[in-house]
Amino acid sequence: MTGAAIEMREVGHRYATDPVLIDISLSIEPGEVFGFLGHNGAGKTTAISILTTLIKPTSGVARVCGFDVVTQRRDVTRRIGYLPADVRLYDHLTAAENLEFFARLSGVDTPRHAVAETLEYLDCTELSGLRLGTFSTGMRQRIGIAQAILHRPEVLFLDEPTSGLDPAGVRQLRETVLQLNRELGMTIFMNTHLLSEVARVCSTIGVLNHGRLIYKDTIAATTSRFPDEASLEDIYTLVASES
Amino acid sequence: MIGVIARQQLLSLRRQQTFLAFLAVFLLMTALTGVIGWSSHRTIVQVYAAAVTVLAADGQPAPPDPFTSVPALSLLSNMTIYIPLIGALLALVLGHLAVADEQSTGIGRLVFSRPLSRTSYILGKLLGVGLALGAVMAAATIASLAALVVANGRVPSVPDVGRLVLFSVLSLGYLLLFALVGMLTTLLSRRRSVGLLAGVSVWLVVTFVLPQFTSGLRPTASLNPISDPVSSSLAFFQITARARPLSVSEIYKDVSAQILALGPGRPASTTLAAVVPVVAIVLALAALVAAAAHRHDYSRAGAA
Amino acid sequence: MRSKVLLTLLAVLITVTVASVLIGALDYRSALADYEAYRRAAIAGGVQRIAPSPLQLLSLLRGAMEYVEIIGALIAIVLGYLSVTRERSSGTLPLLRTRPVSPRQLAAGNALGALGLIATLMGASMLIAVVSLGVIGHDWVDAAQLTKLALAYGASIAYLMTFYFLGVLTTTRSRNPANGLAGALVIWLVVVLILPQIGDTLDADNQVPGGLFAALGLGHAQEVSILTHFGAYERVRTSLEAASLSKHFERFAFAMTDVKDKYRGFTLGQLLTVTASSIAWMAVYLAALGTAALRVLRTHEVTTSGGI
Repeated sequence: MTGAAIEMREVGHRYATDPVLIDISLSIEPGEVFGFLGHNGAGKTTAISILTTLIKPTSGVARVCGFDVVTQRRDVTRRIGYLPADVRLYDHLTAAENLEFFARLSGVDTPRHAVAETLEYLDCTELSGLRLGTFSTGMRQRIGIAQAILHRPEVLFLDEPTSGLDPAGVRQLRETVLQLNRELGMTIFMNTHLLSEVARVCSTIGVLNHGRLIYKDTIAATTSRFPDEASLEDIYTLVASES
Repeated sequence: MIGVIARQQLLSLRRQQTFLAFLAVFLLMTALTGVIGWSSHRTIVQVYAAAVTVLAADGQPAPPDPFTSVPALSLLSNMTIYIPLIGALLALVLGHLAVADEQSTGIGRLVFSRPLSRTSYILGKLLGVGLALGAVMAAATIASLAALVVANGRVPSVPDVGRLVLFSVLSLGYLLLFALVGMLTTLLSRRRSVGLLAGVSVWLVVTFVLPQFTSGLRPTASLNPISDPVSSSLAFFQITARARPLSVSEIYKDVSAQILALGPGRPASTTLAAVVPVVAIVLALAALVAAAAHRHDYSRAGAA
Repeated sequence: MRSKVLLTLLAVLITVTVASVLIGALDYRSALADYEAYRRAAIAGGVQRIAPSPLQLLSLLRGAMEYVEIIGALIAIVLGYLSVTRERSSGTLPLLRTRPVSPRQLAAGNALGALGLIATLMGASMLIAVVSLGVIGHDWVDAAQLTKLALAYGASIAYLMTFYFLGVLTTTRSRNPANGLAGALVIWLVVVLILPQIGDTLDADNQVPGGLFAALGLGHAQEVSILTHFGAYERVRTSLEAASLSKHFERFAFAMTDVKDKYRGFTLGQLLTVTASSIAWMAVYLAALGTAALRVLRTHEVTTSGGI
């Protein structure tokens, strides 16, 4: 196997008799920001669920940081962070209490210190003592990102991170993602519908259509390949319609 | 990791209004048990004295005193009702709350994308629930002891304290059974409210329906520590009585009465044998809970 | 009605009602056969004064009434909870509010729907009870008994509607619907189980199996005479019971179904007179909770999201 941050070899998954992912093969290098595009129900969340070890593939092999997601689950989970869509935490606990719990689960040696440091890094120290039940979507998102990076993971998975955010929130998220990639060298795997953000943030994109990977390339190569298309949205529409 | 989960469980419980409400009702009733017992006993003694007077005035002889000797712990007889009634519901809610958030709100996605095995998770939850119920029973035991001292005006003897401790251990086992039921029904349901209501349904059947089917006890009779003797002559009961070892609430009441010396004595071996099916049920439930947690798909959030 | 839990609870209620009546009816048939044999023997022996049957057919429904009191109340709470959460979670409430239907009409419609369901359930229960008594107990209810039974089931409808409104109230007023349901469960526990249990425990007559006064060989008149010396104690005890809606329903239902010996031989008018306070309490609880629930439903925030 290669030194790829994320690798999928003919990965498939089905719920009962319903195939959701079909023969997905892709490789993402360390330090890349990968945008995973596709229609609703294409299988993007299922792919992330496999890579974050929440479910097992029904066929094929998936590896993160060189470790198999099924047989070396512990090694994988030590190195990843995950922000799911519509992130929820324990509403009756404060932000700090939530984060300390997740820091301990991640095996961080000094949870309180890690929490304080992370909140400061994300510029949301003021949220520390407040209960999650009172938070807006944007505030939850920021604490959600905090729990994902407490243990300084090598790979960060983001599932529809801009969902429910206002324009200011989207901008803040973009800057955070770029910061994490630039300063901490995190590999980012991001499911998203917001193509304008993909163009600004991602270095590579993949397109999923009804469970199959129909396109994967760098942003630069993509715009070169489709010079007649005005935007990434036009390219995506073209690629999806041709499959 | 087990300790991390258990610790977070206990911290969460302190903030959960639902749990605190049930806990308040349970501890209040526990504290009142001794008072209620003392009050009713005192009244019965006075009623007997008045009855003797009335009958003597009518030229009738005094009837035998139905309370020739009252066990010291009889004042706590209502605890054998409040444990299956309130304590079991409290434990059920506790079990439900222990796993509901991860199961229904999607927090499970965050928890299980970390180096935490399902086994450690469920052991941590069981530890947290066990510690919480242990603390509840310890508080209830202390409240009962205090009630005995205040109501009787004397300190219970060492053997009586020993009986009370043994009763508390039995009660803890009974509460654990229902905590496991709450966990299991919640893990098997995608909707949070369905999990809770399914658990309450099981509690209803165990507490009220099974005793009627196996022993003919009407629902409200199950709420009285002193029940009318049941006619078992009907062929119906001769069949259904075979299911009595599964009627855990009846077994609990019966064994409690033995431990607290509230009724005619029986060999300890008989009492111990009666507990065996309950222990087996607890172990089976624990295994089912573990299996359900292993099989559960935490990648998808449930619903309210 | 599509809720699996609601259907499960309904199935449990119907099953235990049928079983309770079945058990009682089997026992009644046996006792009735014994009485008939005595009567035939007495007639054949030329006995002039034959003792009337001590059997009270409707009293066999005691268990069924208790199940309505306990499980029925829980079902009604669940119904109230579901009627609020289904519209919340499906997001249909804002859609309904933009239609030419007033909030008052919407609220009334919800309540009427629940009333229809509860009335159907109680009607079916009554029918099952009558048929079970006739077919298994070999004794059919007469017109007078049918009237009393209808009144008992009518009271059960009012009783269950009160708990339906409780479920609506606690669910609507709670930010998290599941917490609202749990809150209603706490109230149900206290009102339906704990308060009556304390009242029963403090009742001197319940301290000995078979009754304390019976064990002492005392009749009703002597019992009353003795209890006059315990006025304060009885007042405290009955006050606790009076705080429980369930106890009022139980008193009325037991009076209508000949469960209590002290009411045997009473006419319907007399029964209604002695249970007047229970009737009044049930009406007060129903009116208070119904008014509060309908007001809350009318003013319910349409933008509230669907719980967790």
